[in-house]
Amino acid sequence: MADFVQLIINGLAIGSVYALAAIGFVIVYSATGVVNFAAGQFVMFGTFAGVATLVNAQLPWPFAYGAALLIMALFGALFFVSVYLPLRRGSIVTIIIGTVAVSITMQNAALLSFGSWPFRLPSPVEDSAVSLGGAIISLHALAVVAVTAVMVAGLWLLFNRTSVGVGMRAVAQDVQAARLMGLKVNRLLAFSWILAAVLAGVAGLMLGPMWFADVNMGDPIALKAFAATIIGGFGSLPGAIVGGLFVGLSEVLGASYVSSAYKDLISFGIMIAFLLVRPQGVFGEKIQDRG
Amino acid sequence: MLSCNDLVVAHGDIVALQGVTLQVEAGETVALIGANGAGKTTLLHAISGLNRVSSGDIRFERRSIAGWPTDARVSAGIAQAPEGRRIFPGLSVEENLTLATVSWRRWRQSIAADLDRVFGLFPRLKERRRQLGWSLSGGEQQMLAIGRALMARPKLLLLDEPSLGLAPRLAEEVYEQVRCIGETGLTILVVEQNTVLALSVADRAYVLETGRIVLEGPADELKHNARVREAYLGR
Repeated sequence: MADFVQLIINGLAIGSVYALAAIGFVIVYSATGVVNFAAGQFVMFGTFAGVATLVNAQLPWPFAYGAALLIMALFGALFFVSVYLPLRRGSIVTIIIGTVAVSITMQNAALLSFGSWPFRLPSPVEDSAVSLGGAIISLHALAVVAVTAVMVAGLWLLFNRTSVGVGMRAVAQDVQAARLMGLKVNRLLAFSWILAAVLAGVAGLMLGPMWFADVNMGDPIALKAFAATIIGGFGSLPGAIVGGLFVGLSEVLGASYVSSAYKDLISFGIMIAFLLVRPQGVFGEKIQDRG
Repeated sequence: MLSCNDLVVAHGDIVALQGVTLQVEAGETVALIGANGAGKTTLLHAISGLNRVSSGDIRFERRSIAGWPTDARVSAGIAQAPEGRRIFPGLSVEENLTLATVSWRRWRQSIAADLDRVFGLFPRLKERRRQLGWSLSGGEQQMLAIGRALMARPKLLLLDEPSLGLAPRLAEEVYEQVRCIGETGLTILVVEQNTVLALSVADRAYVLETGRIVLEGPADELKHNARVREAYLGR
């Protein structure tokens, strides 16, 4: 039982990271129609931004985290200006291929700057653990779940209670009508990319202490985030959260109760089952016709 | 208030508007009638800034706006209820209305008076304020589209086919509201295939055929014009 609780918390923690990556993916997809194949590398950049500020620059962690997220925000803006804007007049496939190219570039840029040797990114609550009914639970895992919960609440407020968030939903539903309402559409699209990059940054900073900071970590995260959006419902924010947690849990539970060699098979098997049986995912699209 | 001078708009190689000149004076309701494909929507899109103008000029309150982005035109006072209504399906009625105030609203400024005015015109929207856009009927969506355009506090209201897809009785109801809005002194340019309805609310009208203005004049005169009667009124 104690083991089970421990596994659940660890699964939720890794699932939170997948969920944040998937949310960033969904925000960009619904606002711009672009399937961002660089989403996993965004998370990898987040981890390495942490390595740069926390390990290399030795900043105290509040400043290091702030600086890392600022770097990610700037990176999101740069991505918008240098990849999305020049390509947006072309077909959507062009932009998607562009994200693949950027993904490869990012991976190699990280390899050039940090080398292939993995880093260990420390956590501010390093080596602390709490005991919960006999289960030893790392404080970092709990912190990850808590931070994600706060982020999700913040996103809910953003999308439902602020004019920027409602404007982003409007742009996602009908760009032309959004222009006619006087919305500054380009600014909102830029904000979508920045928000996605910052969420990936948070995910990367939290993931670093659970995995190693490795320049090849982006692809597995992208695949898991992708599986999460399929399971939850493509384009749905609640779906990204539920899907992310589900993938995280199935991975951790599968690794310990079935076999660690098959942990990916389990989550991707579930994704394939969803594609066959319920392709719209758990939450589906609330709106059939996007107008 | 609005003047289009020798406006040319092309979609690729196809010239949709070939030199359209049109005037709308403050306080007027002007109808632009014509068959499907005559270029009516293209003209409204050009005025709102969704279409690029190849040559010619658009002036609004004596300023040339042809190069302005759409949001600047909305801020200047041009709001549009587009063809097909284009309600945001996943936003509630109230969110749809509130969204349209971004062009003028300052931080924490109240929009209650504007909401009340729209709910006064269209009481049914008030009953449905929490419902999502897609769940409204066609008539309610049209009311929401017009109400949403009014939330932008426009000086010039552009209406694109407000009767499209509505049962005749509903279309008349919508036009009754358009007349009321016009009587408050708001300047309106309405594009319409339903010539009878459009001429019933308009002071003046233009007839557009394959990208050119072929007729213009007071609405009462056009109602009795032989060419209009034959081509558009079916008599």
